[in-house]
Amino acid sequence: MTAGTSTRPVRRPGTGPGHGNSGRTGSLWLKLLPLAPAIALLGIFLAGPIIFSVYGSFTNAALTGKNAKDPQFIGPENYADLFRDPNFPQSLWLTVLFVFASAIVGQNLLGLGTALLVNKATKAVAAVVSVCVVAAWVLPEIVAAFVAYAFFFREGTLNQLTATVGVAPVDWLFEHPMLAIILANIWRGTAFSMMVYQAALNDVPQEISESAMIDGAGGALRLWYITLPMIRRSIATNLMLITLQTLAVFTLIYVMTAGGPSRRSATLPVMAYEEAFRYSNIGYGTAIAVVMILIGAVFSVVYIRLLKEK
Amino acid sequence: MSPTPAATPAPATAAATSPAPAMGRERRPRPGLSVSSARRSASKTLANAVLILLGLCFLIPLSWLVLASLDPEAGYTTELPKTFTLDNFAAVLTPELAFVPLLNSLLLSAGAAALTVVAAVLAAYPLSRYQLRFNKPFLYTVLFGTCLPITAIMVPVYSLFVQLNLLDSLPATTFFMAATFLPMAIWMTKNFMDSVPISLEEAAWMDGASSMKALAHVVVPLMRPGLAVVFIFVFIQAWGNFFVPFILLLSSGKQPAAVSIFRFFGQYGTVAYGQLAAFSILYSIPVILLYVLVSRGIGGSFAMAGAMKG
Amino acid sequence: MRGTRSTSVKSSLSLIAAGLLMLSGCSAGGGGGDAGAGDEATLRIVYQKSGEGSPLDTLMQDVKTQFEAENGNVTVQLEPVEGSDEDYATRLALSQRSPDTAPDVFYEDTFKVRSDVDAGYLLNLDPYLEQWPDWERFNDGAKAAGVADDGATYAVPLGTDTRVIWYNKNVLEAAGVEVPWAPKSWDDILAAARQIKESQPDVVPFNMYAGTGTGEGTVMQSFYELLYGTDSQLYNEDQQKWVVGSQGFVDSLSFLETLYDEELALTPAQALDPNIWQAVFGEYLPEDRMGGVVEGSYSPSFWQEGGMFEWADYGDVMGVAPFPTQNGQEPGAVSMSGGWTLAIGANSQNPDLAFEFLKTAMSQENLLKYTVDNSQIAVRSDIAEDSTYLESNPFVADVSEVVDVTHYRPATSDYPEISTAAQQATEAVITGERSPDEAAADYDAAVRDIVGADNVVEE
Repeated sequence: MTAGTSTRPVRRPGTGPGHGNSGRTGSLWLKLLPLAPAIALLGIFLAGPIIFSVYGSFTNAALTGKNAKDPQFIGPENYADLFRDPNFPQSLWLTVLFVFASAIVGQNLLGLGTALLVNKATKAVAAVVSVCVVAAWVLPEIVAAFVAYAFFFREGTLNQLTATVGVAPVDWLFEHPMLAIILANIWRGTAFSMMVYQAALNDVPQEISESAMIDGAGGALRLWYITLPMIRRSIATNLMLITLQTLAVFTLIYVMTAGGPSRRSATLPVMAYEEAFRYSNIGYGTAIAVVMILIGAVFSVVYIRLLKEK
Repeated sequence: MSPTPAATPAPATAAATSPAPAMGRERRPRPGLSVSSARRSASKTLANAVLILLGLCFLIPLSWLVLASLDPEAGYTTELPKTFTLDNFAAVLTPELAFVPLLNSLLLSAGAAALTVVAAVLAAYPLSRYQLRFNKPFLYTVLFGTCLPITAIMVPVYSLFVQLNLLDSLPATTFFMAATFLPMAIWMTKNFMDSVPISLEEAAWMDGASSMKALAHVVVPLMRPGLAVVFIFVFIQAWGNFFVPFILLLSSGKQPAAVSIFRFFGQYGTVAYGQLAAFSILYSIPVILLYVLVSRGIGGSFAMAGAMKG
Repeated sequence: MRGTRSTSVKSSLSLIAAGLLMLSGCSAGGGGGDAGAGDEATLRIVYQKSGEGSPLDTLMQDVKTQFEAENGNVTVQLEPVEGSDEDYATRLALSQRSPDTAPDVFYEDTFKVRSDVDAGYLLNLDPYLEQWPDWERFNDGAKAAGVADDGATYAVPLGTDTRVIWYNKNVLEAAGVEVPWAPKSWDDILAAARQIKESQPDVVPFNMYAGTGTGEGTVMQSFYELLYGTDSQLYNEDQQKWVVGSQGFVDSLSFLETLYDEELALTPAQALDPNIWQAVFGEYLPEDRMGGVVEGSYSPSFWQEGGMFEWADYGDVMGVAPFPTQNGQEPGAVSMSGGWTLAIGANSQNPDLAFEFLKTAMSQENLLKYTVDNSQIAVRSDIAEDSTYLESNPFVADVSEVVDVTHYRPATSDYPEISTAAQQATEAVITGERSPDEAAADYDAAVRDIVGADNVVEE
């Protein structure tokens, strides 16, 4: 994660930014001052509640019932229960599958492909298609979930389409619930990757790809050896962001399948929500959320490694 | 000028200057413009075709929404209405149902997006431009904050708002939302900033501009596409977010559209599908417009490669 | 890193917080803590709002108008909550966690009453109810829903509902089943269903919900109708323990297995669809494609004019029958009831005023209008006899009759999780993953896990 200072600016005293290891605290503080608003916002509104949540995961806090009155500190019991819970391994696996298939493969590759095509295509086509892709993303969560449900359910759009070419209807939400929510999430989330990649590709100086083109490098090779390395950071960052977003996807799944049938699409957020809000076991639900943070951390570490490798 | 972006790894630069031999292809003389433009138009046609197909895939699921909004007897099946009607739109276009909630959504989303972008740009500058020991731990801490499903921390957040007497306040909810999207925004912004060549700032420093001035006058204008992505990202997330305003805002006059949409869900699980669809369309239009406007506004559009000739 | 940093961070934090406070100082209206100071008082009312002009919203608006007219110095602050039932429960529970935000009067689901009493959220109403003559007019079954473990009453019912068999006369007549149909046992139901299947292979003979998809509908409209009609129990009220190892549980699962295996109900795939009930009301019954289904007393509200699935002839085509006990044992029929109540916050600054508000809401005129608008079953005798109520739809008398044999869910705080375990048992059986015996054993293990071995009783 090197900050981009490959060329060192000539520094005039008291004007430009200096180099990191300056001995004088004063200037260090001056440099970090711009961070203050962000730190304040994060400190008050996120750090506090998160620390509180982590603490809560060691209690039997509940929304209702006896434990709502005076929650007890029970140590790591919630975590012990979680690892004994027969539903946990399944939810864990479904979450990883969901993230991998819908974000890392689906949204990411489709987003990159769309961004590249948009660069090549006629302006009008590119603009219209961009709007189509983005339309799925700007729909409010709950609406997108209904639209996806209407698309996949037994008498829905998809089966009506396949029927026109003589394919027997498939009950997607019952027979392939994971496939349905993965496709729905790709449909919903690709726009984000597309926009990130469009912005990243815009930053690639045209001279570089132009000169390569003149030198006759084939399209795919040029992409692989020149363009992709140049937007490597965007790829890693995008992967990280969509992974973390997809880890937390809840409404889409809840509306489409409610985690069913037989928990076959109950990812960790669904499990956490049910425990915390449906069964009011706040402590247990929070413990699941903490586990999700750890999973996110694992993914993030992998991406950071990827960034560093080269 | 052709600045080498700071983030560009050496191999890529090498490939850019002397690509072909390494790829095992005989180096040809430079092709004439006509050949390359012919090839270009062929690839353009192909790109158009693929894009149009993609756009259709993204658009088809939305057909249910459009048809249901025009159908007086809408259900879940995608079908042509027996009679087309605008009654659904007429029914939802009232101050209480549409205008007030949409205005609240606008205040919340625009406020959160503006706050986030400002805080993120300020925070990203030192993180991107100085190599400080402090950067890495800070960035990782911020990053792990992003994996948290916000749903999971809403209970302590509620308690915090009670403590600070901030419940039912639109500004406070806006601040909280800004905080929840800030980690993502900082990551994205830092990444975009890393790809802005530092050499441009050097010129500004030479002229004696402070780092803040350089940021405002040199870096930010160059990052417009990136910042637009961040702004839109936050705006849209906030626009569709249900749980945060639902928990933190009490009066129904302050609720955004994401919450008021539940007015179409009646007793015993009934749903007024037609009105729900009509409202959803109205609810989505502003965001789609925003996307179109912003993507137009930054040097042509997202779809124009090379809008950024430094 | 350095000492100076933490202090400056701290001071900037407090600066921001102060700024926020200033920003929102004028608009933060969450707390009602000052109520009761002086003669001026504010009552905060929290309830669920679904739809413009929804019956409950109308009721609350009316009561606010009446109450403020009678009590000039009192302000009634209505705080409708828009969201699903679960979201509403979450918001309500959160607001009750702090005395500053706890409402004075609120809309409370019957099956939350007990656990919210345990949590200390609800006020004991006994002293108030003694002084309220109208309380005697409330029906005993409905009153029971507001009683907690200590025998005191904490909530007053707004209305209730029941579950009965809704059957399509056209389908039954075409199959040669005598109408009006009144099955006396589970076997009678199966016999009629098989008859329908034979005569009309394309029709779903008799549907009962199963699986987790339809959620609480599965247990209320199907599984408990069966279980409560056996000699077993779900929950032992005397010992306040959950029942495990019960024969009735296995028998109920076996009945569902038969229904689904013989294809007398919808397909398992359809049953697991959370929205299948919409197809039942909107397509299967009106199109003569289903013989019968166990559903709520509020079913007519879907078919009435302005309902979700308007159906002009529903009064002529549909018939109603009580759901029979397993072998016709006493009392012969069974029903399940849910319903909502009004309750008062345990820490209300103005409990007397709050109860006055509750009384106004429960007056004969106000409650009659609400009962009719919301397709509820009357809980006051003077409403149950009122002609407006009796004529509100063709089936009012039929669905009200079973109030005598109805049951309420055991409303402990563990209930929602146990309900899910029961739903999972039905799902495992209809999908063929488990036999009824295995599924019942899984359920028993789950219940022990949820409530602890001390809180279960072997039958």
